[in-house]
Amino acid sequence: MGVVTCYNVTKMYRRHRAINQLSVNFKEQTITGLIGRNGAGKTSLLKMIAGLTRPTSGDLEVFGEHPFNSLKVSANSIFVDDQMVLPPDLTVSKVLRECQNFYPNWDKVLADRLINYFSISLDVYPDQLSKGKRSTFHAIIGMASRVPLTIFDEPTTGMDYSVRQDFYRALLKDYLEHPRTVILSSHLLNELEDLLEEIILINDGGLKLHESMADLKEYAIGLIGQSSVIWEQINEEQVIYRKNMGSEQSYIVVKNDLSSELKTSLHRSGVQLKPVSPADLCVYITNQSKGGIDDVFDRDES
Amino acid sequence: MILNHDSMKPIYVQIAEWLETEIINGNLSVDDKIYSQYQLADLFNINPATAAKGLTQLLENDIVYKKRGLGMFVKENARAIILQKRKNEMMEVMIEDLVKEVNYLDVSNEELFRMIEAIRKKGES
Repeated sequence: MGVVTCYNVTKMYRRHRAINQLSVNFKEQTITGLIGRNGAGKTSLLKMIAGLTRPTSGDLEVFGEHPFNSLKVSANSIFVDDQMVLPPDLTVSKVLRECQNFYPNWDKVLADRLINYFSISLDVYPDQLSKGKRSTFHAIIGMASRVPLTIFDEPTTGMDYSVRQDFYRALLKDYLEHPRTVILSSHLLNELEDLLEEIILINDGGLKLHESMADLKEYAIGLIGQSSVIWEQINEEQVIYRKNMGSEQSYIVVKNDLSSELKTSLHRSGVQLKPVSPADLCVYITNQSKGGIDDVFDRDES
Repeated sequence: MILNHDSMKPIYVQIAEWLETEIINGNLSVDDKIYSQYQLADLFNINPATAAKGLTQLLENDIVYKKRGLGMFVKENARAIILQKRKNEMMEVMIEDLVKEVNYLDVSNEELFRMIEAIRKKGES
């Protein structure tokens, strides 16, 4: 069952097409990662789901309703990012009190304990907090509101490494206790690998991949070895990414549908087989050219 | 245990193997309740779906059984099954390496057999 269903959704900003005929479903009670490069359309999509903006065309439903101007969606979801708009004349503690009034499932104990753990002062105004602390404060609101649909748009902006680790762990623990639908957009996929259950990869406003994390981890395989040996056994069409290492060595990423005989034969001829991390894979898949940044500097071939 | 993220082995397999090891070394005995997917998720900081996949693998290999609503428990001959399974996997890898070397050096089957017998004799005396 999908909590969020998109069908042919398009979002235009003047002439710019931010989301282009996107059809995708977000599963209920899972933590889904929305992954994409800068400008891929992550925020545009999430804002439409939260009902903050309206799709230009297509059909978008959240809890079975169009989210724009929907009270049901607004009461049952929260959109967290680093620019969350909070009343400027309320201090941290007053914001928390207002949240408690607004969200029926607000977990006051959790909020207070997290605020204390991350040492956020209660009597300052949110915009006086440092960038990292402010993001942390927003993330705490997102978790403690305990709404059925929690959307985090790049929640870790400005957080340092240890705070990020704490945030991921807190989110997981809270999710284990109170399962709900969580959508998280981020470009730090390597840090999120174990937290996410589903991955949706978008690029240029369109869907590139929708896989479970487990499948994504086995989606591709990396081959390291003599270029000539590899090209004898691998077709050009199978290649997702390639990189020359030294004169005769290559690193080649292919889809993991090689037969086990082929794998053994590659292994026997001295080719190393390596797993490809989901983070790297997403970068390779969304690359404009198969050689990545190196192609820009490779002026001879063009 | 610390999960190895760079391994060819998926995380859920690593979880299953960790539980198997717990059974082999006696930390979990027959009819003991094993960790739930949520406990494993908390323990290893992973998504509960991944943990559930590890448990499913144990279920499929007949190492645990399920009691509806209560959880999963260690089966009677779990230890024997795990030991047998590990033996098979280990032997396969070792023999594969051996065969690779044998092919390299052009050793005949008879020659290989004689070598194995010689080593076995040495072990006995």
